[in-house]
Amino acid sequence: MEEEDQQKVSDLIKELVLRLLSQNPTSDSHPIDPNSTDFRNSLRYAFRILSSRMTPSVAPDAAAIGESIKRRLATQGKSSEALTLADLCTKFASKTGPGSVNNKWAVLYFLKIIAEDRKSARTQLDSSVLLPNLAFKDADSGHDLRVSRSLGSKEKGWRNGVLLVSKDPENRREIAFREFVNLVKEENEVCEEVLVRDVLYACQGIDGKYVKFDKNADGYVIPDLVKVPRATRIIVRKLCELGWLFRKVKGYISECMDRFPAEDVGTVGQAFCAALQDELSEYYKLLAVLEAQSMNPIPLVSEKVSSENYLSLRRLSVWFAEPMVKMRLMAVLVDKCRVLRGGAMAGAIHLHAQHGDPLVHEFMKRLLRRVCSPLFEMVRSWVLEGELEDIFSEFFVVGQPVKAESLWRDGYMLHAGMLPSFISQSLAQRILRTGKSINFLRVCCEDHGWADAATEAAAAAGTTTRRGSLGYGETEALESLVDGAAKRIDKHLLDVMYKRYKFKEHCLAIKRYLLLGQGDFVQYLMDIVGPELSEPANTISTFKLAGLLETAIRSSNAQYDDPDILDRLRVKMMPHGAGDRGWDVFSLEYDARVPLDTVFTESVMARYLKIFNFLWKLRRVEHALIGAWKTLKPNCITSHSFTKLHHAVKLQLLSSLRRCQVLWDDMNHFVTNLQYYIMFEVLEVSWSNFSSEMEVAKDLDDLLAAHEKYLHSIVEKSLLGERSQTLCKSLFVLFDLILRFRSHADRLYEGIYELQARTMESSLPSRDKRKSQKQLSDKVSEPGSWIGDGRKALTQRAGELFRNMGQDLDAIAKEYSSLLEGFLSQLPVQQHVDLKFLLFRLDFTEFYSRSSPSL
Amino acid sequence: MDPNAARTARESLDLAFRMSNVLDTGLDRHTLSVLIALCDLGLNPEALAAVVKELRRELQTSFSPPSSTAQSSLS
Repeated sequence: MEEEDQQKVSDLIKELVLRLLSQNPTSDSHPIDPNSTDFRNSLRYAFRILSSRMTPSVAPDAAAIGESIKRRLATQGKSSEALTLADLCTKFASKTGPGSVNNKWAVLYFLKIIAEDRKSARTQLDSSVLLPNLAFKDADSGHDLRVSRSLGSKEKGWRNGVLLVSKDPENRREIAFREFVNLVKEENEVCEEVLVRDVLYACQGIDGKYVKFDKNADGYVIPDLVKVPRATRIIVRKLCELGWLFRKVKGYISECMDRFPAEDVGTVGQAFCAALQDELSEYYKLLAVLEAQSMNPIPLVSEKVSSENYLSLRRLSVWFAEPMVKMRLMAVLVDKCRVLRGGAMAGAIHLHAQHGDPLVHEFMKRLLRRVCSPLFEMVRSWVLEGELEDIFSEFFVVGQPVKAESLWRDGYMLHAGMLPSFISQSLAQRILRTGKSINFLRVCCEDHGWADAATEAAAAAGTTTRRGSLGYGETEALESLVDGAAKRIDKHLLDVMYKRYKFKEHCLAIKRYLLLGQGDFVQYLMDIVGPELSEPANTISTFKLAGLLETAIRSSNAQYDDPDILDRLRVKMMPHGAGDRGWDVFSLEYDARVPLDTVFTESVMARYLKIFNFLWKLRRVEHALIGAWKTLKPNCITSHSFTKLHHAVKLQLLSSLRRCQVLWDDMNHFVTNLQYYIMFEVLEVSWSNFSSEMEVAKDLDDLLAAHEKYLHSIVEKSLLGERSQTLCKSLFVLFDLILRFRSHADRLYEGIYELQARTMESSLPSRDKRKSQKQLSDKVSEPGSWIGDGRKALTQRAGELFRNMGQDLDAIAKEYSSLLEGFLSQLPVQQHVDLKFLLFRLDFTEFYSRSSPSL
Repeated sequence: MDPNAARTARESLDLAFRMSNVLDTGLDRHTLSVLIALCDLGLNPEALAAVVKELRRELQTSFSPPSSTAQSSLS
């Protein structure tokens, strides 16, 4: 088969040579002898030419070559011929099947070269007078083909020069040009056309024939073995930077694509890759156009000139200027984003978009629109649907599974690392809160009305709820969408909280019951649980107390309250140690169910409990003082029943009673004022602030903050805060002392009543015997007399009692005044301004400041 | 030979010849058919074109001045 082909080829060549030689118009008189030396020489020459170059220098693309021929004709002004040719080309190309020409491109290319040769042969005279570089190019274009005959053709060119440029007597210029051309030809092993093609290949990351990727140089270079001038080498190297950058970007994309199913590249990463891919396909388009152009001549005005191919290395460098900028940018981004993902990646790219160059800016904007689209999609679905579509954890809102009560506080938070810099912190907060509100409504409030609010918000913002309606750069649109959604959803949430879950009512209930705002209820409760609570803590039954609480509710105005609220009120026994009394462990509790437990969390309830304990103690002290007053009240019985007592004893009695009264008064003054301060200046003021803040609260966070402020102000002002611990301690010591006083006062009165009872006993007979007593006045001193004996013992006992009591009272009074003084002296040191008012109230008459100079 | 194939071949040649005329290559029909056959056999069209060109030049040089530079350079 091979040999057959060979034979066929040689036959055909022989035929060809014969035909060509016989074509000569002058030679048709004598036919050429196939055996003549002339013919043999020609034949040998033809074989040599054919064996010299086995591979063509162009890509086998029939359409491109056809296009190139057509353009050449068109630029020469033969447009009708160009059209005819185009028609013929298409017809020629459409011939397929058996019998048609297989190597269509070869035929076309062959025709093209022949036509060009004839053309140039005809116009050679003109081309040689043109600029030297064109002359050089002209000579160069035939370089490949005419290697063996270059000498001859050059001589001819030179001859032409002599003919034409006769004004230059020495022909120096022409000679210099020729020499230069020769020099260049010697230096250049590779013609520019080939280099251009190689550069185009290299820019697609493919090694060309001469331009290859060199690992050491880390770039595409012409190997040192190939002889090219330095300038060409440098320009090739410069142009091939594009190829290097391209390799980098391409490598990143394929790496990401490979990694994608196994590792989490993330949606933003994928979008980035896709955007890069798109940019690259633009780049491919450009390269394809350039490649097609590389075969076409430069369109010139003058049609006589046969021009060089359109693309030279210099032209390429102009063409590559713009793609180079883009590719560099992409390479930089690729470097930056290699380790980043999600929002962080978008943020990093955004930083590069801050560029003054409109080209870069435009490019980055286009890229960012693509890159950010998944991110904005997440924002949209989060803000409007409360859905966290973030399987690769790229979004700047992170959710974590929590219990319903802490959903609002801990369920979702901002991930600062993933927050791209084009979304401001406050906007991010709003985005977070809006989505959180939706989730809160859905999970905790079991509400469905938010969907309407979200749709309304989307409609108002001008974007529908469909996907992909937001993009990078439309920060205002995003902001208005978020704002609209936030406003509506927050409003809806607050409506639900206020109307459906009666937040305000519950706050009021807590104030009334836990903060002892409902006076009659507290009084009742204190009355009925008081005896029970005096027992040791471990003997008290919670159930019994719960029953008592129920009784207290029913017998006070609280019974008209909402049963739902009353249901939530419970008795709670705090953990108790040995020796604790009921008073120490008793407390009330308010059961805030979902969703209110978002506001009334455990820690908040613990603070309420603390306040409750303090207030309960204060109430108890007040209650105790009132109880003491009931017994202490001066009445006829006490003042008259002792008339018959011994004078000294009576005096003692009166003085201790008086002392008791004074002390009680002192204590009562203190407790009443403290009570007043707590109730009116602390609780009511805080409550009224809270109420007004509740009115203006726009979202749940505001509400939480308002409540927090309310609670904080109560704690601080009631001396329960961290800073006033010592003050609080001394206050509790004072309370204990007052309670001790109460028991002393009770004991004193018990003693007095006992005395009174005995005196009454003894005075009944004594009244009858008054006369007889007088009569028997000499008998008075009679020893063994029952009455005399009794009276004496009575007096003695009373004296003893009063003495003891007087001592106790003295001790208490002393302790009390020193404690009170300590307390009062600490008051002005406190930070809180309201405590100054407390001091002012307590020391209204300046009694304390006068008695103690330290105040 | 299949008459269909023959017709296609003839038409192809016809088209090529017309193109050749449009391009003013100065080749006659028979020469062109030989060249197309050579192309189809996979010869480099550049080389073929060179052959055509050189032989033509040879003819011209051998007729106008009787110099034999080409031949001397060849041998």
